[in-house]
Amino acid sequence: MEVKTNQFGVYTQALQNFSSRKQEPEWMLQLRLDALEKIEALELPVIERVKYNRWPLVVAPQLKAEQPALAAPIAKWVKDDPEAVRVVQTGNQTVVEQLPEHLKEKGVIFTDIFTALQTVPELVQEAYMQQAVKVDENKMTAFHTAFMTSGLFLYVPKNVVVSEPFEAIFIQNSEVTDSFMKHVLVLAETHSQFSYVEKYVTAGNEKNAANIIVEVIAKPGSKVKFSAVDQLGVQTTTYFNRRGHLEKDATIDWAIGVMNEGNVIADFDSDLVGDGSHSEFKAVSISTGSQIQGIDTRVTNYGRHSVGHILQHGVILDRATLTFNGIGHILKGGVGADAQQESRILMLSDKARGDANPILLIDENDVTAGHAASVGRVDPEQMYYLMSRGISKEEAERLVIRGFLGAVISAIPIKASRQELIDTIERKLSHDSE
Amino acid sequence: MSVLEVKDLHVSIEGKEILKGVDLTMKTNEIHAIMGPNGTGKSTLAAAIMGHPSFEVTQGEVLLDGVNVLELAVDERARAGLFLAVQYPSEIAGVTNAEFMRAAINARREDDDKISVLKFIKKLDEKMSILDMPEEMAERYLNEGFSGGEKKRNEILQLLMIEPTFAILDEIDSGLDIDALQVVSKGVNAMRGEGFGALIITHYQRLLNYITPDVVHIMMDGRVVKTGGAELAKRLEEEGYKGLSEELGLQITIEE
Repeated sequence: MEVKTNQFGVYTQALQNFSSRKQEPEWMLQLRLDALEKIEALELPVIERVKYNRWPLVVAPQLKAEQPALAAPIAKWVKDDPEAVRVVQTGNQTVVEQLPEHLKEKGVIFTDIFTALQTVPELVQEAYMQQAVKVDENKMTAFHTAFMTSGLFLYVPKNVVVSEPFEAIFIQNSEVTDSFMKHVLVLAETHSQFSYVEKYVTAGNEKNAANIIVEVIAKPGSKVKFSAVDQLGVQTTTYFNRRGHLEKDATIDWAIGVMNEGNVIADFDSDLVGDGSHSEFKAVSISTGSQIQGIDTRVTNYGRHSVGHILQHGVILDRATLTFNGIGHILKGGVGADAQQESRILMLSDKARGDANPILLIDENDVTAGHAASVGRVDPEQMYYLMSRGISKEEAERLVIRGFLGAVISAIPIKASRQELIDTIERKLSHDSE
Repeated sequence: MSVLEVKDLHVSIEGKEILKGVDLTMKTNEIHAIMGPNGTGKSTLAAAIMGHPSFEVTQGEVLLDGVNVLELAVDERARAGLFLAVQYPSEIAGVTNAEFMRAAINARREDDDKISVLKFIKKLDEKMSILDMPEEMAERYLNEGFSGGEKKRNEILQLLMIEPTFAILDEIDSGLDIDALQVVSKGVNAMRGEGFGALIITHYQRLLNYITPDVVHIMMDGRVVKTGGAELAKRLEEEGYKGLSEELGLQITIEE
């Protein structure tokens, strides 16, 4: 049910019960209850040029009992691979945890967030909604903190380099009516190096809200390759927040495929806090049907000589909407910082609505910054050229689009995920005529 | 044997008539050359036959074995056997050369008869070696960042891979040095034979030293004004277009 303002107080008891059933530490319950009080007064985050205040996003999850297990077999989304370093969650439950012994011995943790809250509470407490995303940033972050019902914790200790990618597969359970309140906390200790791949899909057809916050804390000198393929279903209305907090000389390379079927607002941010920190953000997105996807991508340069690059390419079909806001913000003191961004949108239909807004905010003199943005159609010369070689119009269009989206595809470290993104793109493009 | 006939072709671009009634017939196992001064409609002829969207055919027909290709979409014309190599092909980022050529080959084949990866690679290697192209060219994005010479070689590579019935080469020689010219010619000569005909559009006689034409057409002011053998190209080289237009009594301004 939709929650009206000043009704959140009624959830206090339910949250206490939930927290106690999950055996959460006292501070976690307190964090939830403090957040609960703040929801009402806080505003929704502003996503430029996207109106979503009437979307059913602030819907409290079922807290009373354990969610029923997913009826659908997970094989559709998860190819069994005993070698994979993997966590699979269906709805609120963790159904697969595979972490090889040699990584456990090095102190690597890759587990359900509630398990982490019991086994390594101090590690979670240090970072959870403290450094990257703050509880009281807006209504959605406070709502998330109060009502988080499932999540993942990844910890890579100091100087540990992991060659195998960490893989997380999150299957939203929409066989039932329940909000999907997911938190992913990635803690990269000093000089650690690894890659992480996550995927979101939906099972079932119930109308649900999703509220997902992913925090990546990159300690000094750490290097994280983060990639994702988001494929939440058409009946899911999503608030997505991925945030990197980068300390001195840390690097995060993001490669995100925003391929959901339903309405989405997303905030993908990198806070370049440390000197010499570096974020490369690449995203591709396809909007189809009548869906609206509004994506804010922000890089904030606090540190000297910090580098933040944004490259996002999107395709719109049918009557769908896609908005890319690229925000580059260099704060006073960010001497020698570099903020570059490029947002491009291809519209494949007359009824599509696309927006690419570069926003540069610069409070320091000695910096480099630049932006490029365009919204256009498939180049008729390119189409003519491909067709003049016998390639059909549909196939030519697919080639041009795949090429257009190729920059992100090639940045994904796992071959299977790359293929998955390609397949998702093909699938989204193939049912374009409504 | 196949026949390509251009009959009384009139073509306009943005309302301005460029081709004013072109007639031309060619068969497989023949190489034809079209020569003529700049701005005379040679490239328009090539583009109109292939079906470039900017050109409007106002009159006439182009028959491929009796079928009017002007009624076909661009990709259908290509699958019917036509091929056009151009001087400035489009660049398509993110699509590799190999991927593109495989799509082009498979577009001509039934779903249950797609070319195998192995066969494709073998053929590609073979054709690339004819054109002295380094292997890495196959994995580069289609024409992206290619030099002028690389683009033209790549056009000829596509010709060799696709093996059309009729190829039109539109000023594929301009800007090429002698070495590149020889390589490109080697490619075209490799195609020569029973099942293939080519229409070579060129401004200069130079290319025809390497690819000997069976028939030479001279175009001026939107029409074919003279047709002859290989010796016609040589004569042009000596006398220039001016001499010829005077001989034919044409009132044409030549921009050389």
